[in-house]
Amino acid sequence: MYQYFKDMAAGIETKILQDPDLPNPRKRYALETARLGGRLYSGNDTVAWCGIAVPFDLLNAMGMTSCFVEFVGAALAATGLADPFFEEAEQAGFVGDTCGYHRAVLGAARKKVMPEPDFLIASTCPCSGGVAVMENLAHLFNKELFVLNVPQENSAQSVAYLAGQIRDMAGFVARHTGKPLDEDKLRQAVENTNQARKLMQDMYQLAQNVPSPTDGRLLINFGLVMPLFCGTEAAVEIARAYKDEFTARIQRGISGVPDEKLRLLWVQNRIQFNNPLVELLQKEYQANIVSDELNDIYWDPIDPDDPYTGMARRAISIPLNGDIQGRIKHLQKLARAYKLDGAINPCNWGCRQGTGARGLISDGLKEIGVPVLNLEVDCVDRRNFSGGQLRTRLEAFIEMLASRPQAQ
Amino acid sequence: MEDHLIDKTLGYACAYTPLVLLDAAGCAPYRILPMSDCPDQAGQLLHDNLCPHVKRILDRAISRDLPDLAGIVLMNSCDAMRRLADAWRRVRTNDPVILLDLPATADDAAVAYFTGELSRLNDALSAWCGHAITSTDIAASVVRYNKLPPLFSRLSERLCQGQLSGGSARMQGLYNTAMTASFDESLSTLEQAVAEAQSKTPQDNGIPVFLFGNVLADPEVLQFFESCGARIIADDLCTGSRLFTTIEFDERRDGLAQIARSLLTRTPCARTFDPAQPLKMAEDIQARAHAAGAHGVIGQTIKFCDPYLDRLPAVRETLREAGIPLLLLEGDCSLRSIEQQRTRIEAFIEMLA
Repeated sequence: MYQYFKDMAAGIETKILQDPDLPNPRKRYALETARLGGRLYSGNDTVAWCGIAVPFDLLNAMGMTSCFVEFVGAALAATGLADPFFEEAEQAGFVGDTCGYHRAVLGAARKKVMPEPDFLIASTCPCSGGVAVMENLAHLFNKELFVLNVPQENSAQSVAYLAGQIRDMAGFVARHTGKPLDEDKLRQAVENTNQARKLMQDMYQLAQNVPSPTDGRLLINFGLVMPLFCGTEAAVEIARAYKDEFTARIQRGISGVPDEKLRLLWVQNRIQFNNPLVELLQKEYQANIVSDELNDIYWDPIDPDDPYTGMARRAISIPLNGDIQGRIKHLQKLARAYKLDGAINPCNWGCRQGTGARGLISDGLKEIGVPVLNLEVDCVDRRNFSGGQLRTRLEAFIEMLASRPQAQ
Repeated sequence: MEDHLIDKTLGYACAYTPLVLLDAAGCAPYRILPMSDCPDQAGQLLHDNLCPHVKRILDRAISRDLPDLAGIVLMNSCDAMRRLADAWRRVRTNDPVILLDLPATADDAAVAYFTGELSRLNDALSAWCGHAITSTDIAASVVRYNKLPPLFSRLSERLCQGQLSGGSARMQGLYNTAMTASFDESLSTLEQAVAEAQSKTPQDNGIPVFLFGNVLADPEVLQFFESCGARIIADDLCTGSRLFTTIEFDERRDGLAQIARSLLTRTPCARTFDPAQPLKMAEDIQARAHAAGAHGVIGQTIKFCDPYLDRLPAVRETLREAGIPLLLLEGDCSLRSIEQQRTRIEAFIEMLA
């Protein structure tokens, strides 16, 4: 895997150097992802496997190479290598009804394809299954586990509780690395995070343009993966590259999807393995996925003088946290801002927290006139992917959207 | 709070619910068990792959198959319970609902935070019931509820020795009474059961089995296990032995903090754990099965329950290493779903014999 990521990074660097003056946002983003993969597998870095809501800017400031474990599941699916790891996990008793991201990770860890961490940090947000997987990995690797309990309520008491845990987490990391937190590095990391946040906010604003400069592929997994780079200069560079690219496209009148006719929202996670659905939408129907649920700035800038409080507020504000009304309001906000025609919810099989409420989410978007297509897909495990059926359902949905008066 | 003063019922759905606070508010806690013939309507709001326990509770809410409730207290114990809170607000718009955060760990900071959550519950209950709940009310309720665990302990001992008339189905019926009836009725029923004469010899000769899992409240399921040749001698279930535990209480100290610590440190559901001892749940099950003298273990979990599903492989491995046979069953809270597995259960019991 180390060689795979190293070669991938080298290939992307070469391509960027061919046109160094272009923003190349997706290439810069992919490059940083490949570099992270390389560091995780290098055997030289201090590695922490984490949950999704962990403050990675703090870990980056402390010199950690850290990543949420679902990243591994997504990477294995994207490269078409996940099947033997699902089989390994299932043979060990992890049933197919559970989350595909987690099954892939557990299989990879059992087959020793996942690098051994120095320690693990779980977060109770977004899901119960994620915490259980971290407990399994801590047991398997025989490494210490720290748990961040992320409260649901965005109250002063909840923020203070989580902020205290994040402070304790910094102590836990320092104890393992032998390097105490450098306050200047943390301040710089927070400033980088805030800068990247502002650039991403601008970039998302640009993506709302009609027609949109994005194309349904440029921002795949962006809101999920970018937190891994928070606190670094790379995050700022990537965000700036996207902003510059979108600005240039709008100035030149370039639409992400030529002759954009329909604007769609993708709920929660994309399908991680190679599939024809996005291309079908774009090429045959000029339907553009202009927004992903997690591609948004939902947190305030972090006060460098009180970073733990800001990080706690950010974690609690993740749209997948809290009650469904909060999530629906966020989706409605996106629907209005992006002038959406419809939404697609893949209903990732095995995801209780996200898919569990699909009926409530559908109702919430329908309230503001946005129809929702609920699919039945395991976004990571391709073994049961029925492309033909999905194509038929997508086509029917798009034809319905296209026939609505507001789309004509 | 004396029963004659109780004029309101509060619903709840999780073993972590602080029943003493509901009692201190002058309300009767009513566990909404997933046993009902209501039509399946929850699927309109919640996905098919969500916990059947939660969906059956929602079916009862939609069908109004419930007593009049002054409100419902839900715990954020898992994703499914969170979704239940969301759906409940949708289908029962007039019901007061509170969802309490429940940390996954039991360290001091978690206990302090959970104490704050109990305080929030206290405020809500005071508002729902129209009167303030005092520390004296809470202390009195703790004293009342602390009468139940010793009674259950004595009954559990008899069950383990095969000397409880009616066996595990009777025991489950007693748990169900304590979960759904008024406190005084529950206490009286338990005291009568304890006062019954013990038979000197074991009442059946089934194979002793330890049962663990999450929700299994239907006494007929326990009867069914026994009809297959098993004798359930002890359990680790959300609707069984984990329900009523003694609260260590000192009136001079913060009552809510003591209740919070007691709930977080009781025998845990799979969703609560000590990060310093990952997957210790598996060792605990093995130790309890061994201590009870079980010849084998049956794990009965509800479909789509991630906290259990993701920890079962460790239980299987631990029991295998200890040489204790294990049968894992998945169900949907209905007797029907267990009956379909009769052949497997009978084969397992025959193997144990």
